[in-house]
Amino acid sequence: MNPEIEKEGLRNYLLGNVDSARRTQLEERILSEPRVYEELSIVEADLVDQYLEGGLTELEQQQFETHFLIDPERQRNLRFGQLLKRYAVAHQSAPASPPFQRPRFGRRPVLVFSAAVVALFGIVVLTWLVTRSTTQTNVHGGIPISEVVKLTPGATESGSAPHVKVPPKGYDVTLELEVGNTSFRNYKSELFRGNRSLKTIQDLRMQEKDEQHVVPLTITGEILSPGDYQVRLSGLSDSGAAEFINNYSFHVIE
Amino acid sequence: MNKDWALSQEAFDALLDWLDPDREQAGIKYEDIRRRLIKIFTGRGCVEAEDLADETINRVTSKLDEIEKEFTGDRTRYFFGVANKVYLEYLRRKLPPPPSLSSVDSDRVELEYRCLERCIEQLSTEHRELLLQYYGAEGRAKIEQRKLLAEKLGVAPNALRIRAYRIRLALQECLEKCVERSIR
Repeated sequence: MNPEIEKEGLRNYLLGNVDSARRTQLEERILSEPRVYEELSIVEADLVDQYLEGGLTELEQQQFETHFLIDPERQRNLRFGQLLKRYAVAHQSAPASPPFQRPRFGRRPVLVFSAAVVALFGIVVLTWLVTRSTTQTNVHGGIPISEVVKLTPGATESGSAPHVKVPPKGYDVTLELEVGNTSFRNYKSELFRGNRSLKTIQDLRMQEKDEQHVVPLTITGEILSPGDYQVRLSGLSDSGAAEFINNYSFHVIE
Repeated sequence: MNKDWALSQEAFDALLDWLDPDREQAGIKYEDIRRRLIKIFTGRGCVEAEDLADETINRVTSKLDEIEKEFTGDRTRYFFGVANKVYLEYLRRKLPPPPSLSSVDSDRVELEYRCLERCIEQLSTEHRELLLQYYGAEGRAKIEQRKLLAEKLGVAPNALRIRAYRIRLALQECLEKCVERSIR
């Protein structure tokens, strides 16, 4: 059987979307073919991850909660999936690079030199942009903002994640979350430290800044102490359904 | 059948012998069958999947004398037929309400997270890197990240998916043991 069709069939089976004839057929294979049993378990794990990322449709989400999660073991798997996701996002290593290929201009020193100049210029510009965005000060709701830090999507190691200084007492910090998808009515953010959810903020609005779309998020300084943090951003559609957008990491220093 | 029939050691040994002459292999087969029966009952939305799986195994065991004489073929399939009968009886009974999603206190979550960290530290560097890269990205970046990772490792995307799942499974087992040890 085509692996993709089999995967889809097992996914439907797990969500309770198959008729009894198809179910019997699948169950016989689950019982007698070790490979199909393992595939079922993998599809279960995939479903858990999709649920956690907000990647299921509204109907699937409902089926997941009312049918799939009926089993206490699957509830444990869901909790494990949550922990694993938090850990992996907080400790993600450098993205996998494609297999090594010899550069085409490897034997042409002029091209190598030009590329180095362009890269150096890029670093200088990037440094200027980062410095500029992190030194602006502002006031939000009458409370002074100690820092405005722009965060790009994705997770990075604490060493390379943007740094935020612990704000002085009475100051807030504004994070500008860069977004690509601007079709949402408003946005919801959840701040995490490790696997602990610290704060959820609803009704955030997207703004245009420096020709980019950002969702500004102001955090009370008191809840920040040195360590790694993540922000999970979701978009809310007109129907009120939440859709996961991305995670953003930052590192708080003294 | 008499539902109060209890599985004696003698009857259990006979079941194992029927499953495989080699006792170790028989034990593995028994565990596999039980696990798969639980999956099947859960797939049908039964809230007492483990009990129903045990009930199925008990029924097969209690009729083993007859089955041994008459039945030929894949033995695991015999369990499937009995499981169907057990399921129909389950449907006729008054169904228990589905369990609500159990909430877990924050201390327990902290303990589980610490155990996860410990278990991940015990992984080989290769497995740890694979796990972090496979599960670290989300949204659109995930697809690209996994594709690159498969290329880097020189395996097909599905082979990578299976590899990541096996590491995840071992990690979850390690975490559960660690939590058990910690709360004893």
